[in-house]
Amino acid sequence: MFEHIDPRSPTPIYAQIADRVRLAVAAGDLRAGEGLPSVRALAGQLRVNPATVVQAYRDLERDGLVEMRQGAGTFVADVAVETRARERAAAAQRFVRQMLTEAARLGLSPTDLRLALERDLPESK
Amino acid sequence: MSDAIKIRNLAWRAGRDFAIRDLAMTVPTGAIYGFLGPNGSGKTTTIRLMLGMQQASDGSIEVLGHSVPRQAHKALARIGYVPERLHLYQGLTVEESVRYHRAFFPTFDATEAERLRKRFGLREDALVAKLSKGEAGKLMMLLALSQRAELLVLDEPTDGLDPVIRREVLSALVEYVDGAKATVFISSHLVHEQERICDWIGVMDGGRLIAELPMQEFRSGIKRLRVHKAPVSRDATPFALLSRETPTQHLEEWVVRGWQPEMQEWFARVGAEVRDVQDLDLEESFVELLRGSRVATTTETR
Repeated sequence: MFEHIDPRSPTPIYAQIADRVRLAVAAGDLRAGEGLPSVRALAGQLRVNPATVVQAYRDLERDGLVEMRQGAGTFVADVAVETRARERAAAAQRFVRQMLTEAARLGLSPTDLRLALERDLPESK
Repeated sequence: MSDAIKIRNLAWRAGRDFAIRDLAMTVPTGAIYGFLGPNGSGKTTTIRLMLGMQQASDGSIEVLGHSVPRQAHKALARIGYVPERLHLYQGLTVEESVRYHRAFFPTFDATEAERLRKRFGLREDALVAKLSKGEAGKLMMLLALSQRAELLVLDEPTDGLDPVIRREVLSALVEYVDGAKATVFISSHLVHEQERICDWIGVMDGGRLIAELPMQEFRSGIKRLRVHKAPVSRDATPFALLSRETPTQHLEEWVVRGWQPEMQEWFARVGAEVRDVQDLDLEESFVELLRGSRVATTTETR
């Protein structure tokens, strides 16, 4: 779940970690009550500053996606269906914004993108 | 919150060609401080001065509240140090090296040393002289981490190690920091590693500390701008201009330091337009910063 964390990306590492968890919760890959790796284990695994992992978990807690229980660890909260849908929409939005910025840099117009997207998207039913 | 390392007005000179000038540095307690700089910029000398192994001609150094070099022995008892050239006795085995090192540090944790030895896959009876470079690196790190030090000073601890061993060593370091809440001072030119673990960055060049700031500020303050109708004069910019290039006729690329989004207005006032603001990663920021500081120095001396 935490593969391909990219320290060179303009998105800070803590935000990348939080986004992965958000998506996993939204997709139902992480269920309510499931435990996240401890700060030490995840920091060790990713070779990042433990404070970065703490910041990611705090962000998730603030948004009601996880609960941090003193001494016990961090657990996925019971998230409403609407919240999961909202998280997915937000993740898709982030992805599209990133793509648009990148495309603008390459000199591609919105029309170019729309055409390319239509060509590659599976037929909608 | 006190500072783990505090250096003021430090000066040191070696012959005519190299000097450390007016160096000030502050490493907050609990930080993982990345010390960056090209080869020969004075990183190792600064570390040796900091540990009382060389004597400064001027200035003050305080490490863990002890004044160096006068009370260096008190500071050193609380510091885990991994030097650039690994310091191990070739005739000892791994197990003997651990026992030898342990004798110097009352805080040494033998259980932790044993745990790390197994984790790093080092054989107890292996002779130091027969260890590979990577194994010797792991042994040095094992010794430093088992000391339960409050401050770890690591001089290029992973340079020259293969990626697998680098990962093992860095994972062990990060886990130690989380458990012991220790401060880490890590000198390296492996910028991508620094980028992952450090929350403070100090940059040396030509014996001077040319930047010192939290990693996030460092990363977010340096940008590449694509400027349309760029002004000819570069006076009175609200940011520091590190470099300026003209890749196409109508578009200039500026690398600036201290960027804030509101500064777009400055371009509007001089009749220019910012087409794009790009983030730089740590390596690019570092390279641009050195380029900018060298240009500034040349202009000063003219």
